[in-house]
Amino acid sequence: MSSQQDDLKETDTEARFEFKKEEKSAFQTEKGLTEETVRVISEDKDEPEWMLERRLRALEQFQEMPMPTDWPGQPDLSEVDVDEIIPYIRPDVDVRAGVDDWTELPDEIKDTFDKLGIPEAEKNALSGVGAQYESEVVYQNMQERWEEKGVIFCNMDEAVQEHEEIVREHFMTKCVPPSDNKFAALHGAIWSGGSFVYVPENTTVDMPVQAYFRMNSEGMGQFEHTLIIAEEGSEVHYIEGCSAPKYSAFNLHSGGVEVFVGEDAHVQYSTVQNWSKNTYNLNTKRAIAEKGGRMEWISGSMGSKATMLYPSTILKGRGASDNHITIAFAGEGQDIDTGAKVYHNAPDTKSTVESKSIAKDGGRTNYRGLVHIADGAENSSTAVECDALMFDNESTSDTMPYMEINESKVDVAHEATVGKIGDEDIFYLQSRGLDDDDAKQMIVSGFIEPITEELPIEYAVELNRLVELEMEGSLG
Amino acid sequence: MSTKAIESLSEDTVRRIADERDEPEWLLETRLNALAALETADLPDVIQTPGRRWTDLESLDFESLVDPLNQSDATERAAGDDEVVVLPFTEAFDEYGDVIEANFGSVLDPEHNYLTALSVALFTTGTFVYVPEGVDVEDVTVRAEMNSRSLFSQTLVVAEESSSVTILESIESGDSEVDGDRYFSNLVEIAAGENSNVQFGSLQNLDDDSYTYSLKRGETDAYATVDWIESNFGSKLTRSDVETELNGDGSESQIVGTFFGTDDQHFDLNARVWHQAEHTTADLVTRGVLDDVARSVYEGVQDVGEDAWNTSSYQRENTLMLSDDAEADASPKLIIHNHDTEASHSATVGQVDAEDLFYLESRSIDSRTARNMLVEGFFVPVLEEIAVDEFRDDVQELVLQRLR
Repeated sequence: MSSQQDDLKETDTEARFEFKKEEKSAFQTEKGLTEETVRVISEDKDEPEWMLERRLRALEQFQEMPMPTDWPGQPDLSEVDVDEIIPYIRPDVDVRAGVDDWTELPDEIKDTFDKLGIPEAEKNALSGVGAQYESEVVYQNMQERWEEKGVIFCNMDEAVQEHEEIVREHFMTKCVPPSDNKFAALHGAIWSGGSFVYVPENTTVDMPVQAYFRMNSEGMGQFEHTLIIAEEGSEVHYIEGCSAPKYSAFNLHSGGVEVFVGEDAHVQYSTVQNWSKNTYNLNTKRAIAEKGGRMEWISGSMGSKATMLYPSTILKGRGASDNHITIAFAGEGQDIDTGAKVYHNAPDTKSTVESKSIAKDGGRTNYRGLVHIADGAENSSTAVECDALMFDNESTSDTMPYMEINESKVDVAHEATVGKIGDEDIFYLQSRGLDDDDAKQMIVSGFIEPITEELPIEYAVELNRLVELEMEGSLG
Repeated sequence: MSTKAIESLSEDTVRRIADERDEPEWLLETRLNALAALETADLPDVIQTPGRRWTDLESLDFESLVDPLNQSDATERAAGDDEVVVLPFTEAFDEYGDVIEANFGSVLDPEHNYLTALSVALFTTGTFVYVPEGVDVEDVTVRAEMNSRSLFSQTLVVAEESSSVTILESIESGDSEVDGDRYFSNLVEIAAGENSNVQFGSLQNLDDDSYTYSLKRGETDAYATVDWIESNFGSKLTRSDVETELNGDGSESQIVGTFFGTDDQHFDLNARVWHQAEHTTADLVTRGVLDDVARSVYEGVQDVGEDAWNTSSYQRENTLMLSDDAEADASPKLIIHNHDTEASHSATVGQVDAEDLFYLESRSIDSRTARNMLVEGFFVPVLEEIAVDEFRDDVQELVLQRLR
C-alpha cells in the first residue's frame, strides 16, 4: 500500500487530470435533444422496448419541467443550454463485447486511464473496475472470486440486456424517478453507460469496486447511470472517480445514482469528483435503506464550474441509518452548491451529516440540506454539522439547511460555523519555520482530516493532492 | 399579481382614511403609491422545499378579511418620562411632521411586498416614538386591543444620537362584536441614531380567529444597538418578520423570540440580520413549544456583507415538541461574504427529556406537573435575555396559561 501511495505522490496530479486526448469517436449524436436523438441512442444500444418507452416518457417530463431557478442563492444555470450539448458519444470500442483487458483498448483510451492510474489501482486494491470514456463503459472487470459468489459488476447497458428483470424493476422507478427534477428527467431520456452492481444476500465484498468516468470531448454531456443493489445482509463499497479536461465550451454532467440497501445491508458510496472548471455538474443520487440497512455517502467535490448535488437517503425501514461526509472546495469562478437530504420515514432511524467546505479566490460554497422526519418516525435522531473555512473577502460561503419535523419523539440537531483561517495558527506554524503557504496548506489538511480519514488511502491521497493544487494555484 | 385585488379597495377608501386624520399631503401620496403597488406586489416569500410550501398565505381571503373603513382599536400609551415623545401615529403630524417625513419608509419600504403595501395604504393606528438626543427612557408601553374585522398599525421609532429607550408593545383581542376571521397587520420601523440603544418588545396574544402579519425592521448607525423581543402566543396564523440592518460600525442587534403553539396554530417566524459595517455583532435566540397539531416554521438569516470586517454572528433555535401531531420546520441560514467572520448557528428539535421527567416523578411530582415544570424551564434561557422585569413576567404568565 505504501509504495502505491508514493507513486501517487510522485505523479503530477494536475497533469493526471487535465490532459486531453484528441477525440476519436465511432459514433455520436447531433447536438441538442429531440425524440429522434433518444430513439437513436436506444437503437444504438439495441435496447428492449420498455427502456425506450421510459426514455421517451422522461423526455416528455424534461420538456415540461421548468429549469430550477427559484432556489435562494442557487448557482447560475443560464448558460446551460441543452441544445448545445452532444448527448451521446460512443468511443471507438466495441463496447458490447465487454473489454476486460486494458491492452485491448485503443491506445489513446488506454493511455488516458494509465495516466489516471486506474489499471494500477485495480491490480493493487480493488475487487473490480469499470471505466467509462465519454458515453460508454470501455473497460469492465471483476475479480473472479466475487463473480463466483454471484456478485455482478458490469456496465449498465450490459445489465439492461443480461439482467433485464432486475433492471426493469429498479431502474428509475422507486428511487430516482425522472419526475424528481429536470436534470433527473434529462438523465432518464439520454442516460448512457454507468455501472450496475448487484450483491446477493449475505455476501460481503470486502475490497472496493471502482468506476472511473472520463469526459474527454468538448461540448459533450455525460449521463452515466449507476444502480447498486445490495441484498439482505450484504456489504459493498463502491468508489466513483470523475474527471474531465478543460475546454472552452461548457460540458454538462448529469449522472444518476440509485442505491438499494437491503435489510441489514451496508453500502458505502465514495466519490471524488474533479470535473474541469467549465463543467456543470447536476446529479441526482439517492439511496433507499430497508430495515437495519446502513448507507454511507462520502464525497469530495473539487472541480466543476457549478455543482448542484445533494445525495439523499430515504430511511424506509426501522433502524436504518445514514451517514454523509462531504467536502467541497471552491476556487476562482466556482460555485459548489452541495449538501445532503435525509428522509426519516421509519422509527429508530439515525443519520449524521458532516460537511466541510473551503472557499477561496472568489469561489462560493453552499451547504444546502434537508432533514425530514415523518410522522411516526419515533426515536429518530439526526445530527448535522457544517463547517466552512474562508480564505479571502472575494469568496462566499452559505449554509442553508432545512428541517421538517413531524414527530415529537426525536432528537434533531443542526450546527454550523464559519470562520477564517486563524492568524494565530499561521503565526504559530511560521514560528516553527514553515512559510505562509505551507502553513495554510497544513491548516487546510487538518481541517479536512475528518473526511480524508474515511476515504480509502488512495483516494485520501488524491484528495489531499487536489487540495494542495488548489492552494498552490493561488498562493504563488 | 393582481390575484389578491380587493374590490372594496379604491383610492377613495385611502383618501377617506387620510382625510379623517388630517394627514399631510406626502403621506397621502405614500399611501396611494402603496395602493397602486398592490397591482404588482407579491406576497411575502415563504420557504419552499421539494413538494411543499411551508406556509400558505395564498389562501388568505383578503376580500372578507379587510374592512378598511371600520377599523377600531383601544390603545393605551404611556411613557414614564416626558422627555420622550409617545403619540398615536396618526396624531403626531402637527408637531413632528418633519421628523416623521424624514424617517417614514426609510427603514421599512412600504412597497416591500403585498402585505406591507396593504398596511401602509390602510393603517389607522400605531405609535410614534421620538427620543431626542441624550435622553434615556426605560418604560414606554403600548397596550392595544383590536376591536374590528381588520386593523392596520404603523409604528415609527426615531432614536437620536446617544439616546436610549425601551418600548413594550402588546396586542390582544378586545370584546368586539365581530364574528369570524380577523386580520391584524403590524409594521414597525426603528431608526437608531449613532450610539443609541433601542429595545423593542412585542407580545402578540390575539384570539384564534385572527390572522397576523407583522414586519419589524431596524437600522443602526455607528455603535447603536437595536434589540428585539418577539413573543407570539395568539392567532390562528402568524407571519412575523423581525429584521435588523447593521449599517454602522460597531453596531449590534439581538433578536429574542418566544412562541407557544397549541391547537392548530401556525407560526411562520423569521429573524434576519444584515451585517453591512465593521465590527458588528448579532445574536439571534428563539425558543418555542408546540402542542396539539400546532406548527412552527422558522427561518433565521445571518447575512455578512463584503465590507463587514470582523463580524460576530450567532444564532440558536430550539423547539420543544409536546405532541406527536405537531410539526416544527426550521431553516437557519448563513450567508457569508467576508472571511473575517466568526459565525455559527444551531437548531434543535426535541421532546421533554425522559430522564428529567423520570427524575421529577421519582420525587413524587405527578407527570403532568413534572412536564409543565420542564417546559417552564425550557423558556428560562430566553426569559433571561429579557432585561425588563414586567415584560418577562408577561411572557412567563402566558407560558403558564398555555400549560394544561
